[in-house]
Amino acid sequence: MSPQMGDSHRRFLQTIMANGIISEREASSLYRHCCETHKTQHTPDKLDEFIDTINSKLQPMFMQIRKGMCEDSGHQHYALVNTAMTDVTRMSSDYTDNELELFRKTMDLIVASESGTTSSTDILNSADTMSSKKLKKSEAEHLLNRLVHDKWLNEKHGEYTLSTRCIIEMEPYIRTMYQDQVKLCQICHNIAFQCQICDNPKCCIKIHNPCVAKYFKGRTEPRCPACDDFWPHEIPEVRQPHSQSKR
Amino acid sequence: GKEKATQMFAEGNAFNPTIFAERLLSFMGLNRLEDGEDEQQNGHAADGYLPQDAWHRLARRAESCFSTAPSFHYMIGSFHAEPPPPKQRTE
Amino acid sequence: TVVERKHPHELTSQVQRGLEKVSPAQVDQKVTAEVVQFMLVKDQKKIPIRRADLIKHVVKEYRNIYPEIMRRAARTFDQVFGLKLVEIDTKNHMYILVNRLERAEGPVSRSPSNTKTGLLFVILGVIFMKGGVVKENVIWSTLKKLRVHTGEKHDEFGDVKKMVTDEFVRQRYLEYVRIPHTEPVEHEFRWGQRADVEVSKAKMLEFMGQLYEQDPQSWSQQYREAHPPSSSQAGPSSQR
Ligand SMILES: [Zn+2]
Ligand SMILES: [Zn+2]
Repeated sequence: MSPQMGDSHRRFLQTIMANGIISEREASSLYRHCCETHKTQHTPDKLDEFIDTINSKLQPMFMQIRKGMCEDSGHQHYALVNTAMTDVTRMSSDYTDNELELFRKTMDLIVASESGTTSSTDILNSADTMSSKKLKKSEAEHLLNRLVHDKWLNEKHGEYTLSTRCIIEMEPYIRTMYQDQVKLCQICHNIAFQCQICDNPKCCIKIHNPCVAKYFKGRTEPRCPACDDFWPHEIPEVRQPHSQSKR
Repeated sequence: GKEKATQMFAEGNAFNPTIFAERLLSFMGLNRLEDGEDEQQNGHAADGYLPQDAWHRLARRAESCFSTAPSFHYMIGSFHAEPPPPKQRTE
Repeated sequence: TVVERKHPHELTSQVQRGLEKVSPAQVDQKVTAEVVQFMLVKDQKKIPIRRADLIKHVVKEYRNIYPEIMRRAARTFDQVFGLKLVEIDTKNHMYILVNRLERAEGPVSRSPSNTKTGLLFVILGVIFMKGGVVKENVIWSTLKKLRVHTGEKHDEFGDVKKMVTDEFVRQRYLEYVRIPHTEPVEHEFRWGQRADVEVSKAKMLEFMGQLYEQDPQSWSQQYREAHPPSSSQAGPSSQR
């Protein structure tokens, strides 16, 4: 029997629901806040058990609070995700069918690219090849802004990447739909977009930038964990959890 | 019943939306351009500009009056799963 | 909730008969998965959920046990999400979800604040303070003073007139009704059924007091309306 939910759990769930995704640090302080508000016991290192209790009640509704890493900072995040694909879930009204088609095309471009990014120009060009009702350029630009605002995409200097929220929720979908194209990180075994790639053409393994930082920390001559070739890329610093994290 | 309505109406008349708007503008952080200038001319609101986050400021405070349910948003499951087009790029 | 009030704990014989045909697990599945999911999806735009749509899209052949399904859905919303399922229109059978948890300032904001709430506060506030009904001109001129002009595209709200008279009305925050025998056509605004359930007049008056640097009790009639002597008022949160 899983433990019962209390108002502290419900408040925690509501806050994640309203935000879509929160960082581990935010989750920890939110956990404390929810327990204090409803005067229940707070055990700092039991956050994941607290979330498991919520998840056991969410599971029949095909919802889940799922943990995942931000490819940029390496920090853990929690997102509330949908796990079903049914006639009911397709009634979602946030985006129209042609907007969703352009989002899928954007994903195609990002997954197919070496760098895990795609430019706004490429996205706008692919809008011309849509099978559903075409989006005007201004509509497509507006849609990209909304997708960033709703935390499905990240944007930096006109380059778009999949957000942490998107990767956490879409991971099973991406693994199935793009199985020939997508690669897993050699270290953490999650799908990798923002990463370094082994130069050995027979190897080509991928490692997330934050995973590179952690794995090679303190090693004088970095070597590929798969083929043992010299790892030629710059080794980034391990990021402290205090710095602002990107979602 | 009727008496209450009449009284309410009388007090309702006393409530002046123009003054209400003035109070709201101050709350929203209106930057008045010139102090001492006649603030109301022909019923028009005072000059000045509202900061970028003016409506956010008001919304944050007003939310305490609302017990709105959070809503659930997701991406997966909102469209039919279709395999991506055959890969065109070569590596 | 209204749902429970309308359908007393005793199951009707028709429902009983319906329940005998399907296993409890099937009913549970139907309730927890589809009805709750459907309502959460429909609540994304804050438009009330119609019973007819529920039956058409999810309940389907289980319509004979509809009251039991709704009772279980209401319990799930209450026990898992801390939300209340309320039937706001018993004639047309429409439901909304409202929060039953008191607001509390936390380390993570409840939501990225929605500026529409500010706009709604202004409109509902004027209607409430003016005794429950106002002519539309009063609202438009108040908004104009706040630099929101109907007929112009506003940076934050776009087409304001459409948002107020269409979106807010469909969401049931507002009622927008034509005043008979007026030429040119005139309308008046009242609180909608959603506002009655979701918005606290007491808290609104508290904010008024803050804006006017004045004791909320000095608006005696509004204060009495916000604090009725019996605790019979609708509203998801206890209004002290
Ligand atoms: Zn990794
Ligand atoms: Zn290698």
